[in-house]
Amino acid sequence: MTGLLGHELRLLLRQRIAVPTLVLVLFLSAAAVWAGMAEVARQHDIIARIKPQQVEDVNAVRSWASKDGDAGNAAYYTFHATWDAPSPLAFAALGQRDVAPFVLRVRALALESQINEGENYNAEMALPGRFDWAFVLTYLAPLFLIVLLHDLKSGEREAGRLDFLRVSAINERGLWARRIGLRVGLIAGGLILPLIVGGVLSGAAAADLLLLSAMVLLYLLFWTGLCLLLSRRGMGSVANAASLAGSWLTLTLILPALALLAVNGAFPVRQGVELTLAQREAVHSGWDKPKAQTMEAFFRHHPEWRGTKPVEGGFHWKWYFAFQHLGDLSVADQVRAYRHGLEARDLWTERLAFVLPAIGTQYLAHRIARTDLTAQLAYQDRIRAFHKRLRSFYYPYIFNDVPFGEDDFGRAPLWLEDAEGR
Amino acid sequence: MTTVRLVADNEWRLMRRSRVAQLALLILIALSVIATLTSIAHRDANDDLRARFQAQADQEFDGQPARHPHRMVHYGHFVFRPLPALAAFDPGVDAFTGSTIFLEGHRQNSANFGDVRQSSLLARFGQLTPAFVLQVLAPLVLVFIGFGVVAREREAGTIRLLSAHGVTAQSLIFGKALALGRVAGLMLAPAVAALLWLTFLEGAPIVAALGLGLFYAVYLAAWVLIIVIASSLARQARTALMVLLGLWATTVILIPRVAPDVALAFAPVPTRLETDIAIQRDLRRIGDSHNPDDPHFAAFKARVLKQYGVDRVEDLPVNYRGLLALEGEKLTSRLFDDYAERQFAAERKQGAIVAAFGLVSPAIALRNFSMALSGSDLDGHRRFLKQAEAYRFDIVQRLNRLQAEAVTFGDDSNRNKDPDAGRRVRIDPKHWHDVPDFAYRGATISEKLESALTGAALLLVWLVMAGFGVRIAIRRLEAAL
Repeated sequence: MTGLLGHELRLLLRQRIAVPTLVLVLFLSAAAVWAGMAEVARQHDIIARIKPQQVEDVNAVRSWASKDGDAGNAAYYTFHATWDAPSPLAFAALGQRDVAPFVLRVRALALESQINEGENYNAEMALPGRFDWAFVLTYLAPLFLIVLLHDLKSGEREAGRLDFLRVSAINERGLWARRIGLRVGLIAGGLILPLIVGGVLSGAAAADLLLLSAMVLLYLLFWTGLCLLLSRRGMGSVANAASLAGSWLTLTLILPALALLAVNGAFPVRQGVELTLAQREAVHSGWDKPKAQTMEAFFRHHPEWRGTKPVEGGFHWKWYFAFQHLGDLSVADQVRAYRHGLEARDLWTERLAFVLPAIGTQYLAHRIARTDLTAQLAYQDRIRAFHKRLRSFYYPYIFNDVPFGEDDFGRAPLWLEDAEGR
Repeated sequence: MTTVRLVADNEWRLMRRSRVAQLALLILIALSVIATLTSIAHRDANDDLRARFQAQADQEFDGQPARHPHRMVHYGHFVFRPLPALAAFDPGVDAFTGSTIFLEGHRQNSANFGDVRQSSLLARFGQLTPAFVLQVLAPLVLVFIGFGVVAREREAGTIRLLSAHGVTAQSLIFGKALALGRVAGLMLAPAVAALLWLTFLEGAPIVAALGLGLFYAVYLAAWVLIIVIASSLARQARTALMVLLGLWATTVILIPRVAPDVALAFAPVPTRLETDIAIQRDLRRIGDSHNPDDPHFAAFKARVLKQYGVDRVEDLPVNYRGLLALEGEKLTSRLFDDYAERQFAAERKQGAIVAAFGLVSPAIALRNFSMALSGSDLDGHRRFLKQAEAYRFDIVQRLNRLQAEAVTFGDDSNRNKDPDAGRRVRIDPKHWHDVPDFAYRGATISEKLESALTGAALLLVWLVMAGFGVRIAIRRLEAAL
C-alpha cells in the first residue's frame, strides 16, 4: 500500500503545477501563522506596556486627591484599566480584535457612556480584512484544492490514459481514492502543520488544535466532494476549473455578502445610539431633580445606604454618584435590547455557519480563538462586573464619609489577570 | 479596422451562444443591480437616521433648563457624520468608523457605533456594494468568460485559418479585446445607472461621478487587456485560466490583506488608552490645575490680575473661575490637536505604504481612488474628527465665556453653600440657543480629486503597462502564425 502511495506521490510531484502549489500552501499558511503570532505578540506588548503607565497615572491623581481625602474626587478622577488578552489561538483568527478595543479604562461614573468607546485604528487597514490562518484556510485553500483536483480524471482522459488506467488498475476505486487522498492530505498537512507549530508555541490547548485540524479536514472534504461532483459530469478540465472557481466565488464571496445584508437588515441595532442619547439625558437631568427624590430612587436599588447621613447643601458626591448610577439603570431595557440585537446577529451567523462552509470555518475558528462578537460581548460583561466592583469599593467611602487616604488608592480593585484578562 | 470589428462580432456571437458565459454575466449583472438597490437604500436610511439623531441632539441641547454653564460643558453635545451621496456607490470605511462622537469639556471621546463592530464576523467577508462587485467580482467573471479567447483558437488550430483569411495578429487581439470589452461594458452598465441616479436624484457631485465611471472603466479595460494577453501567450486555455485565476487571487484578494500588515508594522499607532494617559501626563507638565502652586496657573493669575489692574481675583470684573476654565480648555485642546495630528500623520504614512502596493495590485489603486472620490475614505473621517474637535472647542469655550461673564465669582464660589447663589449661577437657557449647531463640511471636489490622484495615476500606469503587454503578445502571436 505504501508502495502504491509512494508511486502516486512521485507521479504527483512530477506534475508541473503540483510542487509550486503545495509549497505555496505551506508558505502562505506559515506566513499567516507568523503574521498572526506577531500581531498577538504586539497585543500582549500593549497590555504589558499600559500597566506601568496606568500606575503612573493613578499616582498623579493620588498625589493631590489624597490631600483632603475626599473619596468623591478619588472616584471621579481615577481611571481603572481593563484588558482582554488574546487567547492562545488568537493568532490563527485575529477576528474583530482590530476594530474593537482590547484595552479600555473605566471610572466609577455611569458606565453606559464609557463601555462603547472605540479604539484608534486605521479603518482603511481593517477594511480588506486581516491576513491570518483562518483567511488562508477559508479563501485560499479551496483554490489550491481546485488547482490539484479539477483535472484528476479529465486530465487523464485528455492525455488518453484514462482507459488504460481503468483497465490496468486492480482496484479502480482504490486508485482514485489514493490520488485524491494524497492531494487532500498534502494540502491539509500544509495547513495544519504551521497551525500546530504556532499553537504549541503559543500554548494552545491540544483539544482546540485537534478541533481546528478536524475542521480543516472537513472543509477540504467538502471542497473535494464538490470537485468530484462537478467532474462527474464529464466536462473537460477547462470547464471543470471554471465551474469550480465559479462555485468558489459564490460560496466564499457572494453568498456571505448576501447573508450579511440579510442578517443586518433583519436585526437593526440603532438602540446603541438611542440608549447613549437617552442615558445622557437621564444622567444630566439628575442635576435638576430634587435631591431627596434622586436619593430615594437610588436607595430602592441600594437599600444598604439608606441609613447614611442625608445629603445637604448644593452638592454632595453621594448624590452625584447616585444619579450617575440611576442614569445607567434608566436605560437598562435599551441596553438589553441592544445586546439582544447583537446576539441575534451572531446567532444567525452561527446558523448560517451550518449551511455555508466558508462561514462555518470562519465562525468556528473565531469562536475557538475567542476573537468574535461573542468574545467582544464577554469582555464587556467582564467590564460590567468590574465596574460593579469599583462602585462597591468607592461607595462605603462616599456614603459613610470615610476619608480616602493615600493607601486607599492601592486598595482599589484591580482587573484580574486570569479571571478577567481573558 | 473592419477586421477588428469582424473578429469582435464573431467572438461576441460565440459568447452569446455560450451558456456559461451568459450565466456568469447574468449573475454578475443581477448582483450589481441588487448591490446598487440595497446600497442606495442603506445609505439613505443611514443618512436619514443620522440626520434625525442630529436633530434630536440639537433640540435636546437647546431645550436644556437654566443651568450653570459648566453643567452644560459636561452635558456636552453629540455630532453625527452625514453620509455623502456617493457612499451608496462605495461606502468605503464608513462601516468601520464610528458615525457619532460625544463632545464634552476636557475630554476627547471616540467616534462610536460603527457597523462592523456591531456585526458578526460576516461583516469581514465584505459588503455587497456596486464598488465591491466591480472591484472584486467583475474581473473574475471577465477571466471566466475571456481566458480562452485566443488560446482556444490556438488549441483548435483555427488561428491558422483566420490567418489565411488575412486576419493579422494585431486585428485578432484587438478584436478579441473589443469583444471582451463589450462584456465589461455590460458589467459596468448597472454601476453607471447607479451613478446617474445618485447624481441626478441624490445630488452627488457630477465630476466625482464622472471620474468614478471613467476609472472603473479603466480598471476593467486593464483587466480585459491582461486577460487577452494571458490568453494569447499561453499555449493552452487551461494554462491561461490558471495564470489568470492566480493573478486575480493574488492582486484582488491576497495583496490587499497583506499590505496593511506591512503598513501597520512600519507605522504603529498607539492605543486610545495610551494616548489618553500621555495627554494627561503632558497636561500635568504644562499646567496642573489641581496643584495650587502650579507655576503655569500662578503666572496666568498674575497676568490676569495685571491686565485688569486689581490685586485679588475677587475684585475682577469677570468670574475668575470662568477664565480658569477657558485657559484649562485651551491647554487640553492644544494637546488633543497635537496628538490627533500625530496619529493622523501615522495613518497617512500607513495609507501611503498601502497605496504603493497599488503598483502590484490594481484593485488597491482602484479602491483608494474610489473611496476618495466617493468621500468615504479615511480622509473624510479625519475631516469629521477634526471638525468635531473644532466644534467641541468652540462650544466649550462659549460656555466657559458665559461662566466668566454671566456668573459672578462670588456666586460661583458659594453656589453649593448658599441656595440663592446656587439659583443665580443657573443662567438663562436662551444662551443654549445661541450656541450654533454643528454643520459638517464634506470634502470639496478639488480636495477629493487631490486625494484620488495617486490611485488614478496608478490605474493609468496599469493601463499603459497592459498596452505594452498587448504589443508583446501581438509580436509573439505573429511569430506563432
